[in-house]
Parts: sequence; structure tokens; C-alpha cells
Amino acid sequence: MDRHYVTNPKVKNVAGLAAGAIAGVAVAVLAGTAVANRLASNAEEPLIEATHLPPLLTAPNEQIELRYDVYCLPDDAATDAPCDAAGTVFVRSGDTGPFREVSLLDDPAADEGRFLARVPEDIAASRIGFSYYAVLRSKGGGATVTLPAGGATAPQRSIPLGPSVDIRLGAHLFGAARKADIRVARAVWGTQAGEVGLEQGRNLTPIGGSAFDVDRNGTVYVLDEANRRLLRWPSGAGAPISMPLSINGTLADMSVDGEGTIHVLETTNDPGRAPLLRAFDRTGAAKAATEVVERASQIRIGPNGPVVLQHPSGQWMSAAIDGRPLPPSDQRRSGRAGRPLPGGSEIVILRRGNEIRAALVGASGVRRAWRVTSETPLAEIQLAEPLGNRLLLVTRVYTDDRGEFLVLVLDQSGVQRSFSLASAGWAETAPLSRFRLVGSSLFQLGSTPAGLFVDRFDLEVK
Amino acid sequence: MSGTRILIGFVVAFCLAAAGTASAYHTAFVANNCNYAAPTPTSSITRDGSTTVALRARYEGYQWGGGCWNDNNFDDSPGDPTENPSTGGEGGDCSGFTFKVWRESLSTGDAGFYQWGMLRNVHGPYKAEHFKNGTGAPNVTLSKSAAIKMDALAKTTHIGMIYATNADGTDQIIEAKGEAYGTNIWTRAYRGDSSYSGVRRTGWSG
Repeated sequence: MDRHYVTNPKVKNVAGLAAGAIAGVAVAVLAGTAVANRLASNAEEPLIEATHLPPLLTAPNEQIELRYDVYCLPDDAATDAPCDAAGTVFVRSGDTGPFREVSLLDDPAADEGRFLARVPEDIAASRIGFSYYAVLRSKGGGATVTLPAGGATAPQRSIPLGPSVDIRLGAHLFGAARKADIRVARAVWGTQAGEVGLEQGRNLTPIGGSAFDVDRNGTVYVLDEANRRLLRWPSGAGAPISMPLSINGTLADMSVDGEGTIHVLETTNDPGRAPLLRAFDRTGAAKAATEVVERASQIRIGPNGPVVLQHPSGQWMSAAIDGRPLPPSDQRRSGRAGRPLPGGSEIVILRRGNEIRAALVGASGVRRAWRVTSETPLAEIQLAEPLGNRLLLVTRVYTDDRGEFLVLVLDQSGVQRSFSLASAGWAETAPLSRFRLVGSSLFQLGSTPAGLFVDRFDLEVK
Repeated sequence: MSGTRILIGFVVAFCLAAAGTASAYHTAFVANNCNYAAPTPTSSITRDGSTTVALRARYEGYQWGGGCWNDNNFDDSPGDPTENPSTGGEGGDCSGFTFKVWRESLSTGDAGFYQWGMLRNVHGPYKAEHFKNGTGAPNVTLSKSAAIKMDALAKTTHIGMIYATNADGTDQIIEAKGEAYGTNIWTRAYRGDSSYSGVRRTGWSG
């Protein structure tokens, strides 16, 4: 019988197919088991979440409170009682020495930041600021969360703004947006060569061209996430060159480093897994994929590699150093309040209400600081970049039915130059991916119902 | 040749098994898991409590026109056809999610609080544009600059609730974003976008 099976072609075919089928089912079952195991693992994760808006830059005589919201999920699905939480904030003057413990107080009347720690006066008044982290605990389930994630090894930092250049903006004049000096890239929506993809539908707001970057040669890169590719416009090119990328997309952010490596930060993740940071070489070949620690919103290139802004820690963390991906533990230890810049300094920003604080911070403390207040509400800070000895700040001013970007070039005496730009955001992008500064040129990613474009605005008089 | 046949059999069997599983997810989640129980009226609503309700829907997927999910941190019906609101998949859509988290009534004239179970399949009477316009007794528009945790930012095609504010002025939004995204928390720049309006559920007691 065995011999017959081996020599009969029909039976041999059937046997081969049957063996394959058995193997296929076995693998499917194993895959299903893996999913089930992952679900079981997820179910065992601590059910506690916390949020915190860090006072990264403080003004003189400002009362400093550290407020947290804590959410714990009771087993009883019908219960929505506020989390019965407790915790300790560990705080110290500067960023060395022992921490002092401060217990959290419950402030149930607060709409936001129900759990409160008052920084001891001597620490709050320190001329070098203070560093801190919190360990928050659900009294019911005992689950804990540390914020920022690095705890004592990478505490959050709060720095006195010190002498700052104070700027008062009046009411914003809408409708006087500057025109671009040149449109450096454009593409219509679509899936063909030279087009850029659009996620849309009856139940989805349009999303397309989620991020972009520009290198020193003036080459424009647009992440065409809907078509899973990168579009590249060499300087002066009318049509893009497309390059497939193995990405999931979904409002990913992107940066291109000095060696041409393309870093794509996926922002949607599977449960129990952190978002992925993917690196591709110039040809689009995958180089690495690294899990970042937390929810991530931005990727930029730091002095030693990509850095990622992560929440709820509210810190920039290194994701790779010199091309070597960092494990989560090392990412946590690298957390810092400001975005690291070449040369070892960092830029720290804080928007609270209608005020923006920005500081260039070096090893010895704040080098330069600005404080901008506006009569018109301010939304997000899209860009904050050194421009020689100055600072380029791009923020959004808004009313309930209007919105524009405001570009400010700030120097030691105040506003050296300012202009506004149209929002030009018909399609949604990654939240902070609309502007890049290269040399003294500002680039804006915009879109209309017809397609996507990148405009250049020269900041210096030529 | 033998290796090729084994490979063919493997692929065919695997695909059939996977397709069968996916098909079941696409069509049967609501039928197999959800109910139509009456909601429980409650006397109050708190922002912290509603945040907890919202967090339970995190990772549970997205279903256009839907409003039923469990709490296993997994989309039990991934990859639903995006243009069909009747596929019976897990998750809410943006407005159904908001309706449930805000504990609203099926009656647009009723501003009371109603606790809907996670597995209660209900979308509610409001689309995103209704929320944007403050339609319904529980809902009012408010200045975006005054919007805080568990208030919402809405446009005609989408709504998301504020989970937290970031130092750079963006917000962390908890939202049912779309089939490819599911329900989760993301950093967004909705507040300054002129297509979005501020919306508040009235009657928070804390």
C-alpha cells in the first residue's frame, strides 16, 4: 500500500495536498492559539491609565501644582465610578540628588487634574528648576503606573523660564495669508503614478499624504500612506518618483535623516503592542522595525538618531542611536522634556491657554527664552526650530470658525518677522507634520479637494 | 513536485480556514454577542466616569453605524467593508461611541443620563454633524478654547472626545476613527481646525 501511494501519481497528488492541508490547518490553529494567548496576556495587563500636563517652563512667582488624572477600570463593566487612586510624586531640586516624597491629594471638584501634588516651596523656587516623577496606584486593584515611564532614571523636568523676551500679539487678522514663494511639489489624489492616495469614504474624513520632509538638497518626500509608498520630488522636478514602502500607514509621521534613511512612525497599534517605528534605506528596503514605548505623535531626527515624542510620559525618547534600535527600557531612560538638537541643546515648548513659552536649553540651563501671549486663541505649536540665533515658531491661531497658521521669527528684541499662512488642510495629516524648516526656507504641506502640495516660503530677504 | 503540492495544499487550507474565520467575524459579532436591553437611568454623570466608559471601548474596533463592543482589547471583526454600516461588526462609529460614552437618550428631547451596557447594540439618533451643531437636548456647542476633558470636537463627518491636552497644544483625542484605525487615543490637532466645533454634553457633575 505504501508503495502504491508513492507510485500512483493521483494518489501522490492527493497525499501531498492532504499533507499540506493538515499543515495549513495546524498553522492556522497555532496562529489562533497565539491570538488567544495574546488576548489572555492583554487581560492581565494593569488596568490603570494616567494623564498629566507637565509645567515644563515656569514663570517667576508662579504657583506650581502637579495635577494628574487617573483612570482605573474595575472588573465590573457597569461601574463608572471615578478611580479610587492614590500615589506619590517624587520631586527634587534640579536633576541630581535624592527625591522628596509628596503625597497626592484628591481634589474631586476639579474638572481636570483631580489628583494634585503641591511642590514644596523651596523646590518650586529653585533657580535650576526641579525634576519629578509620579507613581500612581489604584486602591482597588493595586495596579500602578509610573509617569513618566522612566521614573527616577528619566524624570520629567520643569525649568524656570528666567529672563524672557515677552511678546504680546494683538487680535489676529484673518484673511491676509502670505502666498508661497514657490510650489515645490504637487500631486492630484489617486492611485496612479504621480498621484497621491486618499483615504476617504462616507464614514471617514479625508486623510492623505500624512507627513513630509525636505532634505538639504531640496528633495521633497511625501508619505503616501494610502498607497503604501513614498513620493520623492528631487529639487526642480515636476513629477514625483514613487517608491513602495512596507507600512500600515494610518496617519503615520515621517522624517528623513542626513544619510537618507526614511523613518516612519506608525501611530496605530495592536492592543498590547506599542506603535512601530520603521526604518527604510534609500531604496525603500526595510532596515529595522522598533516598538516605541507609548503612544507616539511625532518623530524627528536628533543628534544621534530618531527621537519620538511619546505620551502619556510627555517626553522625547530616543528610538535608535547610530542606527541601532533601542529596546523599550533604554527608550524610557532617554526621556527628556525637550527635543534634542544638534550640539547638545534642546528646545522646550509649552502652550497653555493663549500663551506659548519656548526656551533653548543647554547644559547650563536656559540660553534664550520667549513668552508669547495672544488675544486670539492659540492651538498647537506646529514647529519650533532654531534659526541662527533666533527661533522660528509656527503656531495655529483660531476662532470657532476660522483658523490660520502664524509664523513668527523671534530674536532677542521680540518679533523680527511674522506672517500668516492659510491652513490649507483639506485632508487630515499626522497632527504635527505640516511644516519643516530647511536652511532659511519654511515648507508647508497642504491640500485641497483636488490634491496635495508642498509650498516654500523664504524667510530671509534675498 | 511533492514539495510544491504540499505548499499548494498548505496555502489553500490556510486561506480557507482564515477566510472562514474572518467571514464569521464580519457577519456574526452583533448577532452572537449584542443585546437590546433597556438602558439604566442614572442620576448623574462625571467626566472621570465617562472617561472610564470610553477606555473600555479602546482597541475594540470600529463599525460604521455600530455601537456594541466587548472588553477583550481586540477587534473581533477586523477588516469590515468600510462602506457598509450593516456588517454587524464590533465597535461603535464616532457618533455612536460618543452617544454611549455621554450616556444619552434615544429621545433627542431628553437630556437625562442613561447607562448603556457595552454589549447593548445602540448607535443613538445623532450623526457627527448633529453633535457639531449642538442638536439634541443634552448637547450644546461651546467655544473650542473652553473645551476640556470629555468635551468633544466635531465636524460634519467626525467627532472625537478630549482625553488630555499636551504641552505642545495638541490634544489627545479618544475616538472611533475608522475601520483601519479602530477606537483608541491619538494626538490630534482638531482644536485649531476651522472645520471642527466645540461640543459639550450638558449636566456633568464632576
